[in-house]
Amino acid sequence: MASTVISQGITIEGELTTEDDVVIEGTLRGKLVSKDTVKVETGAVVEADIAASSLSVGGQITGNVTATDRVDLMAGARLIGDVKAARLTIADGASFKGNVDMDV
Amino acid sequence: MARSSSTSHGETAVLGKGTHLRGRIAGDGDLRVEGTVSGDVALKGHLTVDDGAEITADVQARSVVVAGAVEGDISAVEAVAIRSGARVSGAIRGASISIEEGATVNGRIDADFELPPELGGKGGR
Repeated sequence: MASTVISQGITIEGELTTEDDVVIEGTLRGKLVSKDTVKVETGAVVEADIAASSLSVGGQITGNVTATDRVDLMAGARLIGDVKAARLTIADGASFKGNVDMDV
Repeated sequence: MARSSSTSHGETAVLGKGTHLRGRIAGDGDLRVEGTVSGDVALKGHLTVDDGAEITADVQARSVVVAGAVEGDISAVEAVAIRSGARVSGAIRGASISIEEGATVNGRIDADFELPPELGGKGGR
């Protein structure tokens, strides 16, 4: 299990900084910085800039995302914001609006 | 929006050891804090402040267990349990309050019961 879990029904407003992996199933507004993996699950609502080593998205994000390794947008994901990552995958069924910067 | 049918529904939210939050947390579910939080916590569920965790803000929940440090008022609908080794500075309010030996508490205690003499009730300070 992930070390930090924002489960369904939980809303966080503010700046979350962590060394560890994060799973978001609830709502996050503000900013998230993780040195590890961040997973935004289906049903999650994130209105925040995210910086992580890798990010996988099944839910909804409004904000800019930066990953040192990779960003994966799964089917059903919705991202409005810019992506900065060395690798990016966008699955069939994901929606995305923003700029991509893979020049790392 | 469609809710996920994820098996984790009702699962406890966790802020892990290496996690720092500056901001507010609110929600229906349970929460376990292992890291540090500066910002108000308001839950409809159960709150656990683990050993090593630190909350600097007021806390509201159905029930609260503190083994770490809380600097701020604690308010619970049901029980508040302060475990051995915990540090609390602030008012504690709850339907029932327990404080283990070895805990440090600075602040007012507001419980709906008569405090036993060893906790300073009835003719105490």
